[in-house]
Amino acid sequence: MSTNVFQAELISDTIGPQVMIIRFCGELDSSCIGELSKCIEEAMQGEKRNFIIADMTGVTVLCSAALGEFMGNRKRLAENGGDLVFAGINRDLKQKLTLMGANKIFSFFSDIRSAASAYKWHFQKKAETVTLTFPSSLQMVPPVRQMASRLARKKGYGTRDAFRIETIVDEVCNNAVEHGKEGSDNEIKIILTMDKEKFDINVINISDPEKIASLKSFLDQAESKKHTGADQKRGRGLALIRMLSNKMSVECSEDGTNVRVTKIREE
Amino acid sequence: MESQIELTCEEIQGKSNAKLLHFVGDLDATNVEMVLENICELYNDGYVNLVANFNRLRYVNSTGLGILLHCSKSAKEKGGSFKIASVNENVYEIIEIIGATSLLEIYDEVEEAVAALK
Repeated sequence: MSTNVFQAELISDTIGPQVMIIRFCGELDSSCIGELSKCIEEAMQGEKRNFIIADMTGVTVLCSAALGEFMGNRKRLAENGGDLVFAGINRDLKQKLTLMGANKIFSFFSDIRSAASAYKWHFQKKAETVTLTFPSSLQMVPPVRQMASRLARKKGYGTRDAFRIETIVDEVCNNAVEHGKEGSDNEIKIILTMDKEKFDINVINISDPEKIASLKSFLDQAESKKHTGADQKRGRGLALIRMLSNKMSVECSEDGTNVRVTKIREE
Repeated sequence: MESQIELTCEEIQGKSNAKLLHFVGDLDATNVEMVLENICELYNDGYVNLVANFNRLRYVNSTGLGILLHCSKSAKEKGGSFKIASVNENVYEIIEIIGATSLLEIYDEVEEAVAALK
């Protein structure tokens, strides 16, 4: 069978009960509008499903009439709180669709996995977690804070939110190095859990027995919100974290310190 | 792996004991000591009127801010001034949250800060 012959196949709904993947192949020209429409209708199961991933990996042509059919169905899904997205669309076709302005209506994903990930993020509002451990050294903090900022941006957070997240991560990690056990053998663990609404930062370090007393005194001072004098070079980190975040807790023991900070998305 | 900060300075024509400092990059715990040393050297050489151009300073944290406050205080003690100009929105927010806007002399433009020098 020629690869140019139009084919449409419903794949599965394993991503979620509201999701259906349709794999299209060949040339989607005006002759296949009826079949295209029937296939999408079947995938929607009379509007029981509201998210369709159109796998366009094998599609070579998409005519304006077929695009119009996709647009009409996407509108129906969007009205039902869902979406119709394109996955695996080839570069030439993507360029043509972009010239036609279709990129302003449809989301394009490189593959089904990316589209499914976006569904989980946007529609199921599932959180994603990134865990990282790094040696307890100040030199390691800049790349860690920049990674947190980039993650926030990648997940759609605005520039200001990303900058605030970067600052919080920087301040918490600097404190973990300064007040914990330093050196390459002593790792600091950072767990970043993010969803559409908030960014949770959890930093865990190993306690240095010689620094425990000074750490507790430092935390007490921060708790009593004593003002740091203008002539003091340090001691403003915790106040800054408090002002930039929505929630903060510190658990300090002989084993380690665990700082949890929540930053709610504003942009 | 420390973050990058580039510090360059130039003479300010028509102003005595003055230098214009350009900060480029991130000012944080990994490089504050280097910045402080450079500024102290200028003070020791008699340049007590400094204008810090933050136009290309992307980031500052609480440690960096502590150093700036220290530099400002030192300049005043030496009979000079440490002025800051062209601060980006994010950095300005950090300065504001810390409550340092009243402690630091901040100007919108470098030219304004230079004009305000004695």
